[in-house]
Amino acid sequence: MLYPLIVMAVFAVAAPAVRAIGKSDRATAGWAIIGIAASMYFALNFFISGSSRGEFAGLLRLDAFSALFMLVFQSVALYVVIASIKYVDKEKNTGEYYALILLATTGMMVVASSVDLITLFVGIELTSLSSYALVAFRKKDKRGAEAAVKYFIIGGLSSALALFGISLLYGAVGVTNFYEIGAKLALVSGSMQPVLLLSVVLIMAGFGFKVAIVPFHMWAPDVYEGAPTTITAMLAAGSKKMGFVALFKVFLLSMVAIRADWQLMAGILAIATMTLGNLIAVQQTSIKRMLAYSSIAQAGYIMIVLPIAVVGDPSLANYGLQGGIFHIITHAFMKGGAFIVVATLSVVALGEQISDYKGLSKRAPLMALAMAVMLFSLAGIPPLAGFASKFVLFSGPVYASQIGGNEWMLWLAIAGILNSALSLYYYARIVKYMYVDKGPEDKLKIPVSMSVAVAICFLAVVLIGLYPEPVLKVAGEAAKAFFLP
Amino acid sequence: MMQLLQDMHILTLLILVPLIGALVTFLSGKHAKASKYVALTFSAVTLILATLLLLYTDLAKMNVNDYQYYEKFEWIKALGVNFAVGVDGISVPMVWLTALLCFLAILFSWDVENRTKEYMGLMLVLELGVMGVFMSLDYFMFYVFWEIVLIPMFFLISIWGGPRREYAAIKFFIYTHIASLVMLLAIFALYFQAHLGSFDMIAIQQQNPFFGREFQIAIFAALFFGFGVKMPIVPFHTWLPDAHVEAPTAGSVLLAGLLLKMGAYGILRIALPTLPTGAHELQWLLLAIAILSIMYGAFASLAQRDLKKMVAFSSISHMGLVLLGIATLGTIGIAAGVFQMFAHGLITAILFMVCGVVQHKAGTREISKLGGLAVKVPWLATFIMIGFMASLGLPGLVGFAAEFSIFFATWEAFKWILLIPIISVAITAAYYIWAMQRTIFGPLTDRIDTSHLRDVSWYEAAPLAVLCVFIILFGLFPSTMFDIIRPAASAIAHLFPGVI
Repeated sequence: MLYPLIVMAVFAVAAPAVRAIGKSDRATAGWAIIGIAASMYFALNFFISGSSRGEFAGLLRLDAFSALFMLVFQSVALYVVIASIKYVDKEKNTGEYYALILLATTGMMVVASSVDLITLFVGIELTSLSSYALVAFRKKDKRGAEAAVKYFIIGGLSSALALFGISLLYGAVGVTNFYEIGAKLALVSGSMQPVLLLSVVLIMAGFGFKVAIVPFHMWAPDVYEGAPTTITAMLAAGSKKMGFVALFKVFLLSMVAIRADWQLMAGILAIATMTLGNLIAVQQTSIKRMLAYSSIAQAGYIMIVLPIAVVGDPSLANYGLQGGIFHIITHAFMKGGAFIVVATLSVVALGEQISDYKGLSKRAPLMALAMAVMLFSLAGIPPLAGFASKFVLFSGPVYASQIGGNEWMLWLAIAGILNSALSLYYYARIVKYMYVDKGPEDKLKIPVSMSVAVAICFLAVVLIGLYPEPVLKVAGEAAKAFFLP
Repeated sequence: MMQLLQDMHILTLLILVPLIGALVTFLSGKHAKASKYVALTFSAVTLILATLLLLYTDLAKMNVNDYQYYEKFEWIKALGVNFAVGVDGISVPMVWLTALLCFLAILFSWDVENRTKEYMGLMLVLELGVMGVFMSLDYFMFYVFWEIVLIPMFFLISIWGGPRREYAAIKFFIYTHIASLVMLLAIFALYFQAHLGSFDMIAIQQQNPFFGREFQIAIFAALFFGFGVKMPIVPFHTWLPDAHVEAPTAGSVLLAGLLLKMGAYGILRIALPTLPTGAHELQWLLLAIAILSIMYGAFASLAQRDLKKMVAFSSISHMGLVLLGIATLGTIGIAAGVFQMFAHGLITAILFMVCGVVQHKAGTREISKLGGLAVKVPWLATFIMIGFMASLGLPGLVGFAAEFSIFFATWEAFKWILLIPIISVAITAAYYIWAMQRTIFGPLTDRIDTSHLRDVSWYEAAPLAVLCVFIILFGLFPSTMFDIIRPAASAIAHLFPGVI
C-alpha cells in the first residue's frame, strides 16, 4: 500500500542526479512526470482493482479517501511540472526544483493517508519545508526572497502552535491515533476541559495558518504574489488542500466529542474568512493578489464542512464531507488553472496587473477563454465544475439547519451564497477586461507545454461541470471511508 | 406525427439544436457573414421544431403532471439529478415564443458589424438557456439553465450595448444572480424537506401535503423573491431600466420578451404547485405587489423622456398584470396571466425593435427631439402605431384579450379592488398616445437632422411584419392559445379549492 508514496519519494530523491547526469532540464521534467504518472498509477489502481484498504503500522492507511486525495495532489503536481518546463527553463538548479515539487507532493500524500497525529505532522512538515525552498527558488528575485522568509517564519510559528496543541491533546488522552483519540475523548473527565479547549484553539490556529483562514491569512497574498507563479498554483491547489485534510482528520475524527467547544467558532471563522477574503479581493489591482484573496474566500467555503459534519447525523456528516471533498477537487483545478494561466502569460511578458489583461481575447483567445471559464467556475456559474461543487457544499448547511437545534447553520449557506454573488463582481470584471475592453493588438505566442497544463485544468473544469457524477460518487465513497475506523 | 415527434425526442432537440448552432457559429472562422447565416439557419430549425410542437399538442393531455411530451435521461445519480424535460400548456406557448423571438432577433441584428460571430453565437446560447428553463422538470437542471441565460446577456449588454453598458451589465448580472441564489437556497430546502434524495420537480411537488405551514410560507417567500426580481416586481426592478436602455436592440427584445417571462414561469411552474399553502397565505402579498408594479410602472412610463426607457417601464407595468392574474389563484386568472406573458412577449418585441430603428435612423430616442416621423418614414410610423396600440390594449389585438381576462378574473376574485389596477389602462393609453402624438404626428421635427432619415430596412421590416401578423392573429383568435393554456392553468387552480 505504500507504493504511491515510495515511488514518489524515490523519483524525488533521484531527480537532482538525473539533472546532473542528463544535463537536460527537459529530461529532468520528463523524469518528474514519469514519477508522478507511476505514482498515480498505484493510487488509481486502488479504485480500479477495487482492493480493500491497506494499513501500515497503524500510521498510514490507503482507503478511498487517501487514494482520492493522493490523486488530487498528484494531478496538481502533474500540471505544475508540465507548466514548469517552460516557466523555469532559464533558471539554474532545476533538478532540485523538480525534486522539491515531488517531495512536497509526497508530504501531502502522507497527510492524506495518515491515521496518526505524528505521521500527519511529519507529512505537513515535509511539504512545508519543501515549499519554503520552492518559494525562494529565484534566488535573485527580491520579492520571492521576501515571500519565502515571511512564509518560513509564519510557517514555523504555525507548526509550533499546532505541535503544542497536539502535545496537549496527547497529554489528555495518551494516544495518537485519530479514531482512538475520538473514542477516548468522549470519556475524558470534565477537569480536562480547559486543556482541551486550549488544544483546540492552538490546533485551529496552527492549521488555520496553513489553510489561510481569517485571522491567520495575512501571509497568503504576499507569498502567493512573490512566489514563482507555478509554485503559487501548487500552494493554492495543493498545500492548502493538505491543510484541510489535516483539519478534517483532527476535528472530524478526533474532536467530535468536544464539538460544543469549537463548532460555533468554526462556523464564525468560516463566515469571517469568506466575507473578508471576498471584500479585499474586490479592491486588488494585481491579479495574483486577487486570486490569493479569492483563495482565502474559497477556504471559508470549505470551512463550512467542519461545523456541519459533527452535528451527529451520519448521513449529514457524509454529505457535508462529500461536498467539501468535491469542492476541494474542483478548486484544485480551477484555482490552480487560473494561476497557471497567469504563469503562462507572464512567460510571454504580460504583466501581473489586472489592467494588463485588457483586450486579451484578441491577443490570446484560448488563454482568455480558459481564464474566463476558470473565473466563472470560481464564481459558481453553471454548467462549470465550481457550480456543481458549490451546489453540494452549500446545500449541506441547509440540510443541517433542518435538524433540530442547528437552525443557525442556515447562516452558513446564506453567507456562502451572498459571498458567491459578491465574488462574481471581481471575477466578472476581469472577464470584462479580457473580452470587452480594448488593449494592445499584437498576438501573443503561447508555449505549447504551458497550454497543455492549462488544457488539463480547463478540461477538468468543463467535464466535471457537465458530468459531475463520477467525481461526486468517488467523493462520496471517500467521505464514507474517512469516517470508518 | 405526435408519435414521430416523441420518437425524435423533440424537447431535447429544442435544446440541442441551438447548442450545436452556437458551437458551429463560434467555430465558423473569420467569415462574419457566414456566422449570420449559420445562426439564422439553426434558429430557423428550432422555430420549425417549436412550431410542430405547438401544432401537435393534444389538448386533452395538457394538464399539469400529465406531460404529453416528456423525456428523461440519467445525469448525476449521486445527487438524484436527471435530465428531465417536459411541456404542458404553460410551457408550450413559451417555448414557441422563445423560438420565434430568437429567430426574429437574429434576423433583426443583420447589420451587426462588430464581432458578428460572437454576437450570433451568444444569441443561440441565450436561446438554449431560455428553452431549458421553460422545459426543465428537474430543479438542478432548471437552475443550471436559469443561470446559463445570464452569461450571454451579460456579454450582449457589455460588448454591444449603449454608453453606460458596463455599469448596466454588471448590475444586471449581480442583481439577478443574487436573486437566483436565494431561489437556490429555497430549492435546497425543498430537496431536504421532501426526503426523496431527488431533485425531480414533480416528485417533490407531490410531497407538498407534508410541508408544514411555516415552511411553505418561508420558502414561498424566498422563491417569490427569486423569481420576482427577474419579472421584475417593484421594488426589485431597478436593474431593468438600466439593462434595457443600455442593451442592444435584439438584447432588449429577448430580455423583455423572454427573460422576464422566466420569472413568472417559475412562479407558475414551481412556487404555486409545490407550495400551495404558502401561496394561499401570501396571496395578499402577490396582489399588493402586482398592483404596486402595475401602477408604478405606468406612472414611471408617463414620466420618461426616452422612448426606450418608456417601453422598459411599461414592461414593469405589464408584467404586474401577469402577477395580478396569478394572484387570483383561479383558472381564468392564471390562464390569462400566461396569455399575457405570451402577448407581452410579442408586443414588447415590436416595441423594442421600433425603438432600435428610431435610434438607428434618427440618432436619438428623446421623445422631445422627435416629431412628424409619419411624414418621412411612413412604414416605421405604422409599426410604431401598431406596437403602441397593441400595448395599450386596443380590442382586436393580442393585448386586449389578455388584459380583459385578467381584469375579469380580478373582479371575480377581489371585487372592488379591481378599481385600482384598472386605472392603469387609462394611464397606459395616456403615455402611449401622448408619445405617439409627439413622435409620429405633427410637423417634421427640426431639432435633429432629418435629411438622411430612411425608412425601415428589409431585415428590420420582416421581423416587425411577422410580429404584427401574430399580434393581429392571436388578437382575433385568442382561444387558439387559451385552449392550450387552460387545462394546465386549471390543474394549478385546483390546488386552491377555497378560491374559486
